[in-house]
Amino acid sequence: MDSSVHLDHVMMKFDDFVAVQQTDLKIESGEFFSFLGPSGCGKTTLLNIISGFIEPTEGTVHIGGQDMRRVPANKRPTSMIFQNLALFPLMTVAENIEFGLEVRGVRKAERRKVSERLLNLVALPECRDKRISDLSGGQKQRIAIARALAVEPRVLLLDEPLSALDLKLRQHMRTELKDIQRKTGITFIYITHDQGEALTMSDRVAVMSAGKLQQVADPMTLYRAPATPFVASFVGENNRIEGKVVAIDGTQVTLDCGDLGRLSGHTQDSLNLGDSALLFIRPELLTRRTSMSDNCFMAQIRELNFEGAYLMIEATPLKSQQRLRIQLLSDLNLDDVATGNLIIFGFAAEDAMIMSGARDV
Amino acid sequence: MFKQLSERFGPWVSIGIFLLMFLWLVMLVILPQILMIDYSLRPNLPPSQIGGPDDQYTLKNYATLANNAIHQSIFFKTIWSSVLVTFCTLLLCYPLAYYLAKVATPRQAALCVLLLIIPFWINEILRTFSWFIILSYRGPLNALLLSLGFIDRPIRFLSGDGGVIVGMVYAYILFMIFPLYNAIESLDSNQIKAARNLGSGWIRTHYRIIIPHAKPGIATGCIMVFMLSAGSYAVPALLGSPGSRWFTQIIYNWFFEGGDWNQGAAYAFILLLLCIGFIVLMMRLFKVGLGDIAR
Ligand SMILES: Nc1ncnc2c1ncn2[C@@H]1O[C@H](COP(=O)(O)OP(=O)(O)O)[C@@H](O)[C@H]1O
Ligand SMILES: [Mg+2]
Repeated sequence: MDSSVHLDHVMMKFDDFVAVQQTDLKIESGEFFSFLGPSGCGKTTLLNIISGFIEPTEGTVHIGGQDMRRVPANKRPTSMIFQNLALFPLMTVAENIEFGLEVRGVRKAERRKVSERLLNLVALPECRDKRISDLSGGQKQRIAIARALAVEPRVLLLDEPLSALDLKLRQHMRTELKDIQRKTGITFIYITHDQGEALTMSDRVAVMSAGKLQQVADPMTLYRAPATPFVASFVGENNRIEGKVVAIDGTQVTLDCGDLGRLSGHTQDSLNLGDSALLFIRPELLTRRTSMSDNCFMAQIRELNFEGAYLMIEATPLKSQQRLRIQLLSDLNLDDVATGNLIIFGFAAEDAMIMSGARDV
Repeated sequence: MFKQLSERFGPWVSIGIFLLMFLWLVMLVILPQILMIDYSLRPNLPPSQIGGPDDQYTLKNYATLANNAIHQSIFFKTIWSSVLVTFCTLLLCYPLAYYLAKVATPRQAALCVLLLIIPFWINEILRTFSWFIILSYRGPLNALLLSLGFIDRPIRFLSGDGGVIVGMVYAYILFMIFPLYNAIESLDSNQIKAARNLGSGWIRTHYRIIIPHAKPGIATGCIMVFMLSAGSYAVPALLGSPGSRWFTQIIYNWFFEGGDWNQGAAYAFILLLLCIGFIVLMMRLFKVGLGDIAR
């Protein structure tokens, strides 16, 4: 069955405010697709458009190849898990799960079979007759999933479903969600502002900012080859250094970064000498050096955070105000790494990405 | 509570406040009612015999109703018509309250509420009497219906209970709207969206999600409108036809035309007690607890 979702030049305006800029996107059948972006960037609006709660100002939504323009929210093959779950508090767990079937006129015995199967799927068979208020946060979460799955949607829409849970449970639910997606083969459209969630679960991620899609790619590509400065700084940790182009050699570009001296990296933008540009280097790609050479700078350590396998360092290059983050493996010899000490850090030019400053947001 | 008050204002002021509250309750609420109960349990005697040997407690006044078929039928008519008023008010107010709570923008809602409240700045007699004019045989409503061709001949709206019911629905709208609005407003809009998302149409969404949530508000509104209707005097007096007397009018007559306060007090208590009984019965029937209403 085709359960792809096609956003065909969709655009959403509230009065004069553009909440979602024109978006053209195809989400494949059975894909785990995430929208990742900071709060207020238009993610929920996009989900509301797909589920039919709001009509886009322009463009159309196709689900399974079918134009959804005249299809009201209660007739769409989508099912949503709300940010606050929105379980029905006056109904029991079973009634919640069976509600969608009751609507469809499914007979009681049949409904019961479905809810039992789903309660087993989410591993809560004993909660059948409980009240919603008697469930824990994680249990509610699972019941919401079961309720959404009961109507056999082609597309499951999840609006930051894990944001209310504590860290442990959140991580556990990630694997569980991924598991359920694999078992059911339903297209998952997942919304989050938490990059960890998006990167670990998704087949592909769309990074959004201010209503605009910045990049659509698989998690690895997003991390290794961010397409815009926004993606580079939003996805994973990154150090951002501003400079001016002073040398170009094919895709290798050297910037004059003021107090940090001259630093090189590679670029995919077409840059000219004198252009302002941004250099991005990940904390784990910065390493300690014993002596100054190319692509190196001296920095004073401000703060140390031991994170088990890693040591996270915040350091300020000499004469500069900028704070850089450096991640070192903690099994290295770290005797002289202490707050206040001066240390030389450097990176390989092919590890650093340079982007045109004009594309900065 | 006393502790909080005395921490704030000192013990003397607090004692004063409590004394005032106590006096208020006793002097203005409890004592008059006890007096009325006392009245209702004594025979109606000329002043010279009050306190005499014949002034004994008796249930005679209460028995009067049991022996008077006309009064009984007016009593049941009053209850039935009040139920009808309550039901019509609910039917009218529910969509409006839903619109105010979940559909309208804050500006639209504020405007609507203002439009609802403004008529209530005019006093009740005037408001009710304007309905008398609107509904009268040669009044504007008949003229309008005639000119639009809906009817061939004017309708006597005021002959049966119709006028009284219309007048009461209008008079008590606010007592229904606000509890309903509060109840519906407190429902998380995502609940409605979730129901829609699971395929539910509007009618089912209302009776499975919104109405169950709003039940305490519905109960509060219905109880108020029912009690006000059953105890209303002005509306039936102004809009009622000779054939559509309200029980309150009979009570009035006992007091001020028959001069029999004892009998009037007994009738008033019967009305009160039976109305309360009726409400308790309805709350049982619709599974509403007192706790729900106080929520
Ligand atoms: N019904 C609406 N009317 C006006 N503005 C809205 C409406 N819904 C959302 N917005 C605005 O659109 C933007 C995107 O909102 P939303 O999609 O909820 O963001 P996200 O889910 O990414 O946090 C916000 O600035 C929000 O204020
Ligand atoms: Mg949101």
